[in-house]
Amino acid sequence: MSRPLSTVLAALAVFALAACSDKPPASPAAATPPASTSVASQRGDFGPPQGEPIHAVLTSPPHVPPPIHRNYPAKVIVELEVVEKEMPISEGVSYTFWTFGGTVPGSFIRVRQGDTVEFHLKNAPDSKMPHNIDLHGVTGPGGGAASSFTAPGHESQFTFKALNQGIFVYHCATAPVGMHIANGMYGLILVEPPEGLAPVDHEYYVMQGDFYTTGKYRQKGLQPFDMEKAIDEHPTYVLFNGREGALTGDNALTAKTNETVRLFVGNGGPNLVSSFHVIGEIFDKVQPEGGTIAQHNVQTTLIPSGGAATVEFHTDVPGSYVLVDHSIFRAFNKGALGILKVDGPEDKSIYSGKEVDSVYLGDRSEPNLKAVTVAAQAHAAGTLTKEEQIAAGKQLFTGTCSVCHQANGEGLANVFPPLAKSDFLAADPKRAMSIVTHGLTGKITVNGHEYDSVMPPMSQLNDDEVANILTYVINSWDNPGGQFSKEDVAKARAEAGPHAEPEH
Amino acid sequence: MRVRLALAWFGLMLALPAAAAEYVALPGGTFTSVLPADGKAAAAQVAPFRLRTELVTNGEFLAFVQKHPQWQRDKVAGILADARYLTQWEAPLVPGGQALPRQPVTRVSWFAAQAYCESEGARLPSWYEWEFAAAADATRRDARADPAWRESILGWYSRPSSSALPEVGGVANVYGVRDMNGLVWEWVDDFNALMVASDSREQGDPDLLKFCGAGAISLQEKENYAVLMRIAMLSALKAADTTNNLGFRCAKSN
Amino acid sequence: MKHLLPVLALLAALFGGTAAATPLPGDSVYNLPVQLTTQDGQRQMLAARRGRPQLVTMFYTSCQMVCPMIIDSLRLTRNALDPATRAKIDLLAVSFDPAKDDVPTLKSYAEKRKLDPRIWTLARAEPSQVRQLSGVLGLQYRQLPDGEFNHSSELILLDAEGRIAARTTLIGRLDPAFVKAIGETVNKP
Repeated sequence: MSRPLSTVLAALAVFALAACSDKPPASPAAATPPASTSVASQRGDFGPPQGEPIHAVLTSPPHVPPPIHRNYPAKVIVELEVVEKEMPISEGVSYTFWTFGGTVPGSFIRVRQGDTVEFHLKNAPDSKMPHNIDLHGVTGPGGGAASSFTAPGHESQFTFKALNQGIFVYHCATAPVGMHIANGMYGLILVEPPEGLAPVDHEYYVMQGDFYTTGKYRQKGLQPFDMEKAIDEHPTYVLFNGREGALTGDNALTAKTNETVRLFVGNGGPNLVSSFHVIGEIFDKVQPEGGTIAQHNVQTTLIPSGGAATVEFHTDVPGSYVLVDHSIFRAFNKGALGILKVDGPEDKSIYSGKEVDSVYLGDRSEPNLKAVTVAAQAHAAGTLTKEEQIAAGKQLFTGTCSVCHQANGEGLANVFPPLAKSDFLAADPKRAMSIVTHGLTGKITVNGHEYDSVMPPMSQLNDDEVANILTYVINSWDNPGGQFSKEDVAKARAEAGPHAEPEH
Repeated sequence: MRVRLALAWFGLMLALPAAAAEYVALPGGTFTSVLPADGKAAAAQVAPFRLRTELVTNGEFLAFVQKHPQWQRDKVAGILADARYLTQWEAPLVPGGQALPRQPVTRVSWFAAQAYCESEGARLPSWYEWEFAAAADATRRDARADPAWRESILGWYSRPSSSALPEVGGVANVYGVRDMNGLVWEWVDDFNALMVASDSREQGDPDLLKFCGAGAISLQEKENYAVLMRIAMLSALKAADTTNNLGFRCAKSN
Repeated sequence: MKHLLPVLALLAALFGGTAAATPLPGDSVYNLPVQLTTQDGQRQMLAARRGRPQLVTMFYTSCQMVCPMIIDSLRLTRNALDPATRAKIDLLAVSFDPAKDDVPTLKSYAEKRKLDPRIWTLARAEPSQVRQLSGVLGLQYRQLPDGEFNHSSELILLDAEGRIAARTTLIGRLDPAFVKAIGETVNKP
């Protein structure tokens, strides 16, 4: 030991003379830090990797790789491919994204604190651009950027030890950095604490980004990147997971009631800071910046550009919960919307659902709506008369039915059949209940004219509303008269729907 | 008999490049490059030179490798061209349907590009020569201040390269040079002089031990992203590298 | 001015027929025909160094800042080898600056720095070949208006066949991993 060391020291003495005066070489003490007392070891250096190397499972958003159940530091091999590809950014609008792993945000990476990560960055042969990666979870100059600069059709490798736990952003840092990020080159890497994260029912990966296209919001076709808008910080789109609709409709996140949900929420930027909020939820726990100190009972949490947070909450009430950037024009005019759909039994003690849904027309309409209220009260009391039903039905008809069938029941020629003096109605009054509750599609003949259109089921009307409306109709405009009860309507609703062209 | 002679003559014509490559004179001069000559602010000096009006095509490169077998893809030394060299060709001497005669040749290494230019009595242009020529548009010698010029370049960057490359012969710029922007990347002779720090955010921190003197070049005209990206691309390459979108043209000193 | 094409043809003529028994590996830098001129004025093809491992670097003599350290790093690395290994390698430093570094300049530099000509070869090449050599070695350089150069500083180990076996960017002190790599490469069975 002593001989080679003295050789080095002697050599360094020589170099001190030869070296350029501007920047002396590093001191020998710095070259050999004693491992046992280094600050790094306090943070998460649990020694050399053990066992066989592990190939990291990478997932596309919104999915997160499974938790790590490992109690020793390992060597983890991450292979990430950069792909430049055209993908939809909105309905009928496409954009040339630059991606880590073919998605925006890029593949989710999950390792354990103390792991030694052997990182392979591959740049697809089809790429036009060189790319690199800066992982905020890396301790070292550039976060790996300089070591991973990779030309198209090539691969770079570098290795780092994940010293700090947390949820970290990674992104491309090739010039022009802003453009590479604006084109979608970011993602998240989770460094789990050694003891792991508390188990939850669902983990999801959501990342916000702002996008700049030369065309307007939702302008159709392939939209190029607009550098001027990017410099001015005027995004055309602000999106979760890189596409308008990435987290809505069939792509909505899902959970059941009485479950715990953990969202890893990142913000790639390049420019905007996110006021992340889930409409109708309160975050039980937020760990901003993936830090170790948790904040509780949070309504809206700030996700800085180039930052991330872990957000957890419990689902109590079924329904659709809307993920937004609460800088709210971004949500409703630039696309920053997502849905978490929670299924399960209602819990009225926590949330009642809609208790009253009545037309509110202001003071001037109040006397008219009174009839509906009177009918409802009379029904509850078991004293409902035909006249009360007709009065209430008239009000409801005006609100719902008259749009198509007209206030005078005449309908619109060739489009909406008439209800006034209708031979179709008179032929089978009971059929009307089935039509209102199930809808009717196809050809019918009314008063000698053929109609071929679609009436949707009026499922927003409850049974006694339908009974009141039909009682009003059957007693108006020279129709034969009669009465419908709530119970009759319930029966019709339970049966199969009507068919067009009956008896033919 | 006459038909056969005609066919033989036709075959001979096919084997030869369609016409000798055309070079045009460019005046050179003092030029504000995105890469200051001294790493700080100095303008570049470009001597008068001649530049090939068109990129080298598959057809031309085929004639070259026929004449110089050591540059055929199955014969070339690995250290002079990587494994992707000319792999878009059907066979070492058959470009085929994926590499049409008038499409620019790509997947060529810097060494191969140099050897080709030598076969034309030429050389690769320097970065400053290339940048000088590419600053022009159809009517102006220096159109770089025009946002439309920049946008046209950025437009190419944002098109994915999944579709086939167009043929050479785009609109000529004011010097008569075609396809400087918007078709392919191009090798330059001093590609490995573009020592942009591979982490582009390292500014004002020249690592004196890595780069003697002024350290990594700091890029001027930072808003001129269009050109900056070409430098980023070239600085990512090693001399044996080939990529799907990287071709070349040649230059001559006056 | 030497050109790539005729020299390649010449090499093919020289080695293609007779030396087919030991063809050059494709990843050998000796595939590149570079004509060197040493500090003693001797002309020598780079490929003529085939047969013995080489420690190679590029520098220029008027460099005040890093280049002296490059030369010293090369010396330091050689001194760190065991005598048997040391005896099996040669040192080669090629100039980035052929315009200023002519043969007398190289010679006086070698004498001033006490570089034993039996161990050290300082060399120059024609400008276009300097660029090619830097390309094949993976080094970067750029001349500045004041005549200085920006360049990357590395020591590169070539095995006996001219393949790049190891390299280090550690300049100014010893890189133990590089020393170890030299020992393994030179004493490979």
